[in-house]
Amino acid sequence: MTGRGEVTTGPLPIGQFVQLVKQTVVRDPLFKNQALRGEVTQWKQYASGHTYFSLRDKDGQMRAIIWKGRCAIDPSIKEGSEVIVLASLDLYIQRGEIQLNVERIEPVSVLGELEKKKRLLVEQLRKEGELDRPRHMIPTLPQHIAIITGAGSAALSDMQRLIENRWPGLRRTVIGVLVQGPRATEEIVRGLAAARRLSNPSVAKKRGEPPVDLVIVGRGGGSPEDLWAFNLEPVVRAIIASPVPVVSAVGHESDILVSDLVADLRASTPSDAIERVVPVLPELYYLLDEFEERLSVASRRQIHDSKQLLSILHARLRVAPMAGLNRAKAKVLALSSRIQISTNQSLGLQATRLAHFEASLSAIHPQRVLERGYSMTQNADGDVLSSSKGLQVGQKIILNFADGSADAEIKKTHTDEGEK
Amino acid sequence: MTDKKQTYTEAIQRLEAIVATLERGGMGLDETLKLYEEGADLLRLCKTELTAAEGRLNELQLGEIEAELQAEEQ
Repeated sequence: MTGRGEVTTGPLPIGQFVQLVKQTVVRDPLFKNQALRGEVTQWKQYASGHTYFSLRDKDGQMRAIIWKGRCAIDPSIKEGSEVIVLASLDLYIQRGEIQLNVERIEPVSVLGELEKKKRLLVEQLRKEGELDRPRHMIPTLPQHIAIITGAGSAALSDMQRLIENRWPGLRRTVIGVLVQGPRATEEIVRGLAAARRLSNPSVAKKRGEPPVDLVIVGRGGGSPEDLWAFNLEPVVRAIIASPVPVVSAVGHESDILVSDLVADLRASTPSDAIERVVPVLPELYYLLDEFEERLSVASRRQIHDSKQLLSILHARLRVAPMAGLNRAKAKVLALSSRIQISTNQSLGLQATRLAHFEASLSAIHPQRVLERGYSMTQNADGDVLSSSKGLQVGQKIILNFADGSADAEIKKTHTDEGEK
Repeated sequence: MTDKKQTYTEAIQRLEAIVATLERGGMGLDETLKLYEEGADLLRLCKTELTAAEGRLNELQLGEIEAELQAEEQ
């Protein structure tokens, strides 16, 4: 007896049975490439490269294995992650345990769904024009800031410290709310509503303080889920509805939330919010002092300039008569030189005239007449005698010729009428 | 709601303009004195604004402030 036959008829060795089960399990298409969803527990990645874990939910669980290099594993998957796997049923013969051979594994993020909702909300706000609506202006000097944030949070103490450094005693009202967890959204919305009432002038008057003119709403950094309230519509709508400017100051530098998109000012962190809206008081005083200095220096110089202008005018007035005299002197000088010139000119003219005169005179000179055969008679006194009248017999006369003269005596006189 | 703040900003802008005009010079005594007085008034106004921003520091839980507001409204 080989025993083989007996085995087939007798009780089945467990190993053979397990193999049988395995064949059945592996062959069944229902257990092949099944998409399954569950939470990861006992997540263990071994140095060998294989990864072991259990996939479970509240109703059951099963062991699972990802053989080395079988698929890419998202590094965010960890204990407690919600995942979707693509897996086939297998049976580990040595232990007789059913397990899942995982072909693919993806984290199901809660975030994935939240992100989708966030995108839809942003889209909706864009359509409504809320993303590019005109923003409130941030006041240069906030008279009363409302800060809505986690009571006793690190973010709040950072903000308080920064304010005290920049503007000690700046008026502010902190409204402590829950900023994460299921009640965060509601509390933030109520905090914004309270700030809105504090911004009402008549409420403020009753409280004996200036109305809130700036609201900071925010919290420090955290996981995306922790910050999520600031991506939800009620908070976003409350920010949009605020009658006074709202600063969104949520998380870290890189976190962009819907509240950032609709706020009047987006601060990257709570501290950044304070730095952007709270002026440094000493700098303001310095600026005013500088203005005061410049105002007084410029005014004084301007007055000094005016005085100087006056004294220049005065000096000019004093020397004015002298200037008149000098002008007159100059005028006289100019005139006299002109007179000199014109005198010289007229003298020249007369000289010419004289020359002409001389020429014409010489033409009628007696000498010329004498040369033509006439003679000129003079008495003893040299008077030219042009008439026979008055001549006495025996009177001595001089006869002038062109080339000389002769003394003569009158013997007898005649007139054209006859002898005398 | 921001009337006062606008006044501060405007005051600073006007101050800048006044100082610049005076520094450029060339105006008469009358105008100089007028500008100086306006500037000095603006400076006083700005300083008053700065002191007015100092006040009470309230730190309240949401419930507390809501109760206060409700009590005041009644």
